[in-house]
Amino acid sequence: MIELRDVSKFFDQTPAVEALTLSIPKGKFCALVGTSGCGKSTTLRMINRLLTHTRGQIELDGQSIDAYDPVLLRRRIGYVIQNTGLFPHWNVARNIGLVPRLLKWPTAQVNQRVEELMALLGLPVNEFAHKYPHQLSGGQAQRVGVARALAADPDILLMDEPFGALDPITREKLQEMLMQLQARLHKTIVFVTHDMDEALRLADKLVVMRDGRIVQQGTPLSLLQKPSDAFVDSLLGGLERGLKQASLTRVKDHMVPPGAHLAAPRVTTEQTLRQALSLMLRDQCERLTVVDPQDEPVGELSLDRLVKEAFHPKERPRDD
Amino acid sequence: MPFTDAPPTGVQAWIKGRPNGVMMVLAIVMLAALWGLDSVSVAANRIVAGSGHASWEAFGWVGVALASLPLLLVLLLAWAPTSSRLNLLLQLGAIILLLILMPVGLVVASHTLIDPQLPQARLSAGAAFWVVLFCAMLALVELRLRLALPRLWIALVMLGVALLWWLCASLWLDRLALVQEFQAREAAFWDALREHLAMVSIAVGVSIVLGIILALLIRRYRGSQRAAFALLNFFQTIPSLALFGLLLAPLAWISANVPFAANLGIQGIGYTPALLALVIYSLLPMVRNTFVALEAVSPDVLDAATGMGMYPSQRFWQVRVPLALPILLEGIRITAVQAIGLTAVAALIGAGGLGAFIFQGLGQAAMDMVLLGALPILLIALIVDSGLGALGEALRQGASDD
Repeated sequence: MIELRDVSKFFDQTPAVEALTLSIPKGKFCALVGTSGCGKSTTLRMINRLLTHTRGQIELDGQSIDAYDPVLLRRRIGYVIQNTGLFPHWNVARNIGLVPRLLKWPTAQVNQRVEELMALLGLPVNEFAHKYPHQLSGGQAQRVGVARALAADPDILLMDEPFGALDPITREKLQEMLMQLQARLHKTIVFVTHDMDEALRLADKLVVMRDGRIVQQGTPLSLLQKPSDAFVDSLLGGLERGLKQASLTRVKDHMVPPGAHLAAPRVTTEQTLRQALSLMLRDQCERLTVVDPQDEPVGELSLDRLVKEAFHPKERPRDD
Repeated sequence: MPFTDAPPTGVQAWIKGRPNGVMMVLAIVMLAALWGLDSVSVAANRIVAGSGHASWEAFGWVGVALASLPLLLVLLLAWAPTSSRLNLLLQLGAIILLLILMPVGLVVASHTLIDPQLPQARLSAGAAFWVVLFCAMLALVELRLRLALPRLWIALVMLGVALLWWLCASLWLDRLALVQEFQAREAAFWDALREHLAMVSIAVGVSIVLGIILALLIRRYRGSQRAAFALLNFFQTIPSLALFGLLLAPLAWISANVPFAANLGIQGIGYTPALLALVIYSLLPMVRNTFVALEAVSPDVLDAATGMGMYPSQRFWQVRVPLALPILLEGIRITAVQAIGLTAVAALIGAGGLGAFIFQGLGQAAMDMVLLGALPILLIALIVDSGLGALGEALRQGASDD
């Protein structure tokens, strides 16, 4: 649980963040989105006291962060940054074991934890433990960066544009990996990005910022349905919003019991509405048969109903 | 690989398949020197000027042809468009062969040209010899870069060649003027060498400690950065001789008026002003490199170190210092090489060292005595340069392979 109440940050006289109030429930994934210079990174860096807030209160589990020693606080919070910040003179295993060693864990326990994390992030120990950061690809390096942040099993993970420097394919893979990790680990994650699609894909809670203030916050679907102003609307993709909303919605949330006559084209319950719509356009049909993973028809989807229901979709349960 | 000084792969690709102009020019210059310039000169005694002898007189036609062979091979290989690694290695082999042949040539020359009836007669290396030696060194540097060989490798080759020359000189080259100069003052030579090395080590040692302290102070008090570097730059611009001279008066005054200082051996001439001047000169490269090294560490890495929960002292010793070490070592290398050269000038104010031979030799118009001082200085500088360079490379590579 992270609580920011009326938090402001001034650099000299210039405000970077103003009167920001935000609550992130335990185990939730919160994405801070906005154009560069909107104060999203500043907000993140205030949580682990890399920056000191000028006004307001920041609390972790009800305890003000001012009560902690900043160094000890940071060891309890995972931190991932864009260019990984891996130590170039340490190999992968040593980089991952950094925080446990700072916490003076016994060596055997550190080694065991490092191997555990490497397995968790799909980095074979034999292949990677002794490699140095410059021998890794961008994606591998950021996996190590995430492993390092998770090493001491912190409750909170701060991620500052972690995938911003990766190519689109690698980025998508790491997003997938992060979703799977989060489904297992239930960390409280604060994730800064300027990539709205990334935020929509990953977040439970979306916070849009501009000029140091929160413009709108809520679930990705609620923002897509009702952007508060033209800025949020354009950030969310303007005309593309409908499709983005469709890609966040599963077929099973909109299907009705199958009729007597089954349409030929089929979609599965787990596919997104966007994929279903694409199929309708491709196969020039207005009705699809919905099948379960065993390929048994369980319902049907019609363009007519989709269009009418679009403004009142059921909330999609998150990945857990 | 951000750290090696080999040409980037793009350049290598460009180089591939084209004649290597550098090596061709070097080979042509060496051939021209071998055929056109005097390779040795012979003098009846130490005082009279020597008379030059062309290569064919010194080594015979067979000898000249033999010496030309590796050069022609280099020329051919450099011109041939098959620029593979084998080609470059063959060129390297030819250059090393040439370096091995050179002292052998001098032995041959001393047998053919020196009349054994004249015990005073002496042989000196001529223009061709020095030109070929110089070009061969350049060729070694060029080939090392092309082949991306580690510095240590070339340092070992140089050391091997130097040992071989030393062996030739001490066994068969008693007629070489340089050897005669050495034999005439062997004890003085070793003393001078010791003095020289002692002065250099003390000056470099002191400036490492002072340099690091100053760099840390400048980092701490940012406002002083401009002023500090301006002052160090200013010292660097004073000509060395002038600085030695400037220190003479105040130190002499201290020595005359402060008995304690005089007991410590502080005086206007000799060791003290020399060391002081050497340290002052060494400070700029030391401080600058230490400062830059500490500042050059990637801000992302430092941000991560802080964000992960390292104390400032942990961040400094475990992250900043190890990452700064290679550049810091570069500073020590520059400082040491510079001090080795400057110490030669210190002989002028009575500090001793190998420079003494240079200035005595100049005074007596005995060029071979000048060489007796200059060549070891050159050799020490080369050894220290490649030794510290290799160490720095090894440190950098400590992070790349393991």
